[in-house]
Amino acid sequence: MTGRETTWTQKLAVGLLAAALFATLFAGYLAPSGYQTQFREATNARSSTGHLLGTDDLGRDRFSRVLYGMRISLFLAPLAAALSTLLAALVGGLAGYLGGTAERCCLFVVDLFLSIPWLFLLITVRALLPLNISPQASVLTTFLLLGILGWAASARVICAGARNLMASDFLWLARASGFSGAKLVRLHLLPNLRPALLAQFAISIPVFIIAEANLGALGLGVSEPLPSLGSLLRELQSGVLLHPSPWQFVPLAVLLVVVGCFQILINQLEVTA
Amino acid sequence: MGAAGPTKVFARTNDFQDGVFLSQRLRRFKMGNNIKSAASSLTNLRPMCSDLSIRLARLMAIMLVAGMLGATLIRLAPGFSADEQELNSKLSASSILALRQARTADSNILAFYGKYLSSLVRGDLGASRSLGEPVKELIRERLPITLQGLCIALALAWLTALALAVAIEFSHSQLLAFGAEGLSGAFLSTPAAVLALLFVLLRWPPELAAALLVFPRIYRYCSSLLHQSRDLPYVLVARAKGAGPWRVLLWHTLPAFLPQLLALLGVSFSIVLGVLLPIEVICDVPGIGQLAWQAAEARDLPLLVNLTLLVTFMTVFATMLSDIARGAFTRATA
Repeated sequence: MTGRETTWTQKLAVGLLAAALFATLFAGYLAPSGYQTQFREATNARSSTGHLLGTDDLGRDRFSRVLYGMRISLFLAPLAAALSTLLAALVGGLAGYLGGTAERCCLFVVDLFLSIPWLFLLITVRALLPLNISPQASVLTTFLLLGILGWAASARVICAGARNLMASDFLWLARASGFSGAKLVRLHLLPNLRPALLAQFAISIPVFIIAEANLGALGLGVSEPLPSLGSLLRELQSGVLLHPSPWQFVPLAVLLVVVGCFQILINQLEVTA
Repeated sequence: MGAAGPTKVFARTNDFQDGVFLSQRLRRFKMGNNIKSAASSLTNLRPMCSDLSIRLARLMAIMLVAGMLGATLIRLAPGFSADEQELNSKLSASSILALRQARTADSNILAFYGKYLSSLVRGDLGASRSLGEPVKELIRERLPITLQGLCIALALAWLTALALAVAIEFSHSQLLAFGAEGLSGAFLSTPAAVLALLFVLLRWPPELAAALLVFPRIYRYCSSLLHQSRDLPYVLVARAKGAGPWRVLLWHTLPAFLPQLLALLGVSFSIVLGVLLPIEVICDVPGIGQLAWQAAEARDLPLLVNLTLLVTFMTVFATMLSDIARGAFTRATA
């Protein structure tokens, strides 16, 4: 891939993500109706001036639901990513900083989490939790689970980074100068681990959006009537067979574009690194 | 000629004697070398055995803790003590009481796990509460289906990824590279459940869906490795000496990157196993993934603990095998 191509794909990805972010921020103004407002006289309606993307089987405006759904996914996936990065920084950073037996114990816990396929663990744990909770609670539960269960791979990367830093000359010098404990971590370890932490945070966002979509498509994600990019995909399960319409694929297309843009930016980050 | 004759014969005899002597020495040297190499392989065997025993101990420890973790999660899940059968109006009060007592027997998680492990040692995996069948039978029925799907998906994903990466490396086609990047990006951004749904609608085999979801990760890694190999000194020398692209790939690039590819094989096994769960659920494939889903929905503790252990064993065992193969290859080429 040439440098010129890299630039235009990157610009396109940034532009699309900025547009998606703008649309979600101003969803209240852009959406013609609320995400749960029903137009009972127009269920499964085709695209029209009143309903840009038509309506679903309950007569709710699909365009409005896509906008509100993007808001939930685009705001809560980064929060879950921040939680998982924090957990990874705590476990991985502590393991790299302390070394020896503590490191071996932490890495055993990491290996334990990595030994069970993540999607298997996530779906199993979510299926065990109550499904008849309020929509708001279901949103929090879903993204909290993503954050709590998705830290292991990042912890390994951060542990390796912390271990390398602890063996570096400047940290030896800092320790010889009397720095230790919290001061050493705050002034030397954390600032130098920041690029790795940011990279892990960025990598986690699309992973969590896809994981939420998987849960949503299986009916284990965000509960009705709250929309998310994952829960909007549930319409595909029944709607495509009963009332086939190209507009039903719009949530999937939006999901692909959003996650694809994140992937492009992450690839660029890797190339730059 | 006459003067030169005996000298030549003498020389030949000397050569012959020297030759015999040399061949004997060579044989002895070879024997000595064989003994030495046998001795060294014996001395190498000890660390290898200790490495293997450490790995096996680690596998056992991870499985024990994973099983305990799974059982604890299920026990702590809300509604564990509730049973759908209690809603059945045909059941008598004594039957409902018996159901409740059966549930409370499992409420002490340490006691449950201890009892489970002792029966596991005897080869008894218990019975599924929701399906009413022995767990061993359920696993025996469904494991081959999952393993078959897993092998097909892995083979398809690896073949597609390698073929595409090699084709791009050989052709240097920007269009092909762009298309492959776009395709891998699209599948990397697609949720497994959605792709499974599309495959159900199109009536395509579910193994292909799993392969397509894993292929981007393998393709991107292989493509990156091949790209890196272009500038390696020994590859440049081989090219300069006139070696063709296939010879460079098979004799110089592939052996150098085989350890990384073996590690990726272990990781890809785990990814396919994870991806197969939603695919089996949506495509109605009666495998381990669908069984795990049913067990989780019914809060079937014995079945779910067994399945967690099985999936953990499969993942750790695959990673261990790939690690051993990687280690053996690195030692052989060192």
